[in-house]
Amino acid sequence: MADALSKYALINAKLRGRISKILPDETFRQLTHASSLDATLAQLRGTPFAGLEDIYSRTGDLKMAEMELLRGEIDLYRELIKYLHPDSVPLVEALLYQFEIDNLKNAIRIYFDRNIRGRSVEGSIHYVLHERIVHDLPIDILCNAQSFDEISGVCEKTPYRDIIRQFDHTVESEGSLFRLEAALDHFYYENLLSCIHHLDRKDRDTAMRLTGVEIDLQNISWIIRFKNYYDLPLERILPIIIPGGFMLPGPMIEELYNAKDVSSVLKGFVHDKHPELSTLLTGSSPDIAGRLALIRRILEEIKKAEIQRMLSGYPFTVGIILAYFLLKREELNKIRTLLNAKLYGCKPERIEGLA
Amino acid sequence: MIFTTQMSQLFAVVLERDKERVTKTLLREGVMQFLTTSELEAQGPDKAVSDKPDASREEVTDLRKRVEGLLHTVGTIADPPNESDLSQPAAIDIRKETRELDQLDSEREGIRERQRLLQQEILKYEDIQRQVRVSNINLSNVTLPTTQSLLSTHLGKLPATHVKQLESGLKGLTVLNIPVGQDEDTSQHLLIFMARDKQKVKKILSSVHWMEMDLPDKLPSAEKEVTEELSVKLKKLKDEQEALQKKVTRIVKDREKSLVELWRNLRVLELCKKIEGHFNTSSRTIIFAGWLPSTKVSKLDEKISEACEGRCYLEWHNAEENKEIIGSDIPIQFKNPDVLAPFQMLVSNFGVPQYGTIDPTLFVMPLYLAMFGLMFADAGQGLVLALLGAWGFFRFKERKDKAGLARLFCLIIWCGIASILFGILFGSYFGFSYNPIWFDFHGIVLGHSSGNAVITDVYDILMITIFFGIAVISLGLVFNWINMIRTKNWADLIFDKGGLLGGWIYGGGIYIAYYMATHNYNGFPSTALLWLLAGIPAVLLFIKAPYYHMKHRHGSSKNENPVFLVLNFCMEWVVELLEIFAGYLSNTLSFMRVAGLGIAHVSLMVAFFSMAEMTSGIFSVLILIFGNLLVIALEGLSAGIQALRLNYYEFFTKFFNGTGKLHTPISLNSKL
Repeated sequence: MADALSKYALINAKLRGRISKILPDETFRQLTHASSLDATLAQLRGTPFAGLEDIYSRTGDLKMAEMELLRGEIDLYRELIKYLHPDSVPLVEALLYQFEIDNLKNAIRIYFDRNIRGRSVEGSIHYVLHERIVHDLPIDILCNAQSFDEISGVCEKTPYRDIIRQFDHTVESEGSLFRLEAALDHFYYENLLSCIHHLDRKDRDTAMRLTGVEIDLQNISWIIRFKNYYDLPLERILPIIIPGGFMLPGPMIEELYNAKDVSSVLKGFVHDKHPELSTLLTGSSPDIAGRLALIRRILEEIKKAEIQRMLSGYPFTVGIILAYFLLKREELNKIRTLLNAKLYGCKPERIEGLA
Repeated sequence: MIFTTQMSQLFAVVLERDKERVTKTLLREGVMQFLTTSELEAQGPDKAVSDKPDASREEVTDLRKRVEGLLHTVGTIADPPNESDLSQPAAIDIRKETRELDQLDSEREGIRERQRLLQQEILKYEDIQRQVRVSNINLSNVTLPTTQSLLSTHLGKLPATHVKQLESGLKGLTVLNIPVGQDEDTSQHLLIFMARDKQKVKKILSSVHWMEMDLPDKLPSAEKEVTEELSVKLKKLKDEQEALQKKVTRIVKDREKSLVELWRNLRVLELCKKIEGHFNTSSRTIIFAGWLPSTKVSKLDEKISEACEGRCYLEWHNAEENKEIIGSDIPIQFKNPDVLAPFQMLVSNFGVPQYGTIDPTLFVMPLYLAMFGLMFADAGQGLVLALLGAWGFFRFKERKDKAGLARLFCLIIWCGIASILFGILFGSYFGFSYNPIWFDFHGIVLGHSSGNAVITDVYDILMITIFFGIAVISLGLVFNWINMIRTKNWADLIFDKGGLLGGWIYGGGIYIAYYMATHNYNGFPSTALLWLLAGIPAVLLFIKAPYYHMKHRHGSSKNENPVFLVLNFCMEWVVELLEIFAGYLSNTLSFMRVAGLGIAHVSLMVAFFSMAEMTSGIFSVLILIFGNLLVIALEGLSAGIQALRLNYYEFFTKFFNGTGKLHTPISLNSKL
């Protein structure tokens, strides 16, 4: 097995250079105060996002610019694979699945809206990626499909076929895509965790920490959605919880869901592992939505702390790759949020709250 | 040049009625850095009320940013306002301008919406175009469970009188409508659309009396017509979009002149309001204070008095004159000639000197260049660097946004000149050794004669750099003592690591090392001398911890355990001694890198010469050219970084704390 230095020396230097080019908070602050969407895009000239202005001024369609951002993000992963040691390639390929799964979910949602709900899909059908990400998925056929059999048929040579076949009946019986989408997300994380388990010990530990926090965040997002929109009991939520969380294992989620005082439940691990976040625990909320939002905020902060930990710690691990992807994703999400907020004329103070 | 510009403080009281004229004068002169309201209140007992920024100030800023944003969209960056904008300010009706901008924005948004709708149409036709292509090309690696195409194709006829109705009915859908024939009463059409829209299209067709016809097995002309029709439609839509795109730009371009003018007027207004934001007002008077260079005092005094027609009270203080107003908060202004600009850049990258302390820019120039020259001594390569620097400097010197780059290239010119000088001293020209003035660096590295009786081997070169290091560190210590004396920091002058005791120990250490080296490392100076050189200052240093403890304790010493206290003092003393001895030793030896890089530079060139000798003719020349280019790129960068490192970490850390702040007056050219 190759040593850590030969595996990560080049990529470490390359990514640190790229991380230094991620737009700083000051730039985002200035962008937030730009007077309009056009002015915001004009301010992005001279940054890696200069192309967005060109697309928007040509089409007047922000979604087209967002599609370009998404393509850029996918290309980032593909490009990086070229520089990676073969041992690290499967992990990045596993990360690429997230984009394919999201795209597949979008295509299935279009089918669902069009065929099952009978809604117009003109506003969404043109904003699905048709390019190959990991597998050859005929997105046109998926969007225009007449039945789930057709969908699972065209997904025959992909790992998604069995998942679709297993859950397609729930879509009609429950009138919701949630179980199918959750199963696809489960598949993504299982695949990712399996790749992580093939890494050597140091890389495995590093990757598990970050992926674990990501899983926690995903779980919390689902719980918030279930609680707010469906008000489901905990027993129905627990089966969809993704295993492998770093901070919030199943029993703790159960405890958090029912606890009136979230702070007391979280106190233990926050004090032990991230004492700098203790101040966040002083905030409390009487309703469950508020409590869950607080947990989400703490997890976001933990994710940031973990990224910083990786960047300032031993440099020759897979952590630098994961940290880069997360930082880049955060940057892209901020850009997306900012542009949409400007499109809808949000005030700078409101945008700062969103970012 | 050794110290920064002398600053003065103005404390002014003017009448409310003169406010506008005084504000304009202050902006026109552009020399005052105002004290904030809290700083001003901290200085005086008066009960003046801060002249709170009125709502219109924020409105002005918002409007200015809005205009700026619009101008940015067409790539226009307005020049800052000038004196004539200030002398004849145009009256600005904020409400009216806001309304006009709202109108302009709404015009642009209307066009953007039309662009977006066109884009939707384009996407729909591109969808069909893709399907037309796909139906001719099999999808690779995909097993289709159904032969059903995603397109629906219909051939049919309808009464000629209903053609318009058909066209308008299909308008909202993505349907390719190709007329394929016509007789007196009927019109034949080929319709291609996405199968998902089948129901909607059927409904429209039934309303226009559509009569379905069988599709022939082959429609030889259809494929071409479909492709052409699609291309024509797409081109038309894209042309329309392009026209709209130009229209959006034109809306701003047409009003560019008036927008620039508005921006400049708003900027003047904004700056005036920014100045007024620093005013404290009482019932009929205005109070303000701030810092400015002492050389500007008389002019500003005259101008303010003129603006107020003598109805003002101006109180001036030199920064040094009143201890109460002196402190680290006094802003500084560098006082260096333009020629030192690249070196001032190096200093300010590290930090800004505190007011009253030494600005090391003047000393950084020779030290940095000497270090660089010693590490990169080659007249030929130096010439290349200087030419490269000159090219970059002349390319960027006129561009305001690239001022930093221009300074960097200017630094490269200086580095090139230093390399040329040291190259001539060591007789090195593109790696060739020729007629050295001082000693032959190449000869020493190759083990030949150096042509100099004193410097005969690499150890002598290392010694030169150690002596150089001692000189640099000593200079840093002297600067530290000067700074301590100027800021009347007597305790630190004595006890600081870079203070008198530290310097004493360093001097003593140098003598002891010299004595040992000249006695074949076999003996120490006499005990009495050792005691004098290092013992006494080390013992005196023991006073430091108790002294600072006594000085900073605030009456809470009851619970202190005297044994622990003494132990603590002893520990601090030992750590301090270790820090001084180890720190100064490593600081001095750190300068050996200068010799190391110089030797590496020569060795690399020697290696390339050896490689060139293994071949002949053009290959030999190419190897030498490549070798020189590689050495210029790698060694040039390396020498530049190491010289900077030595300045920052071995020289600056002795005396320079970099906690000062730059004088940033409010002027017409103030940064946004």
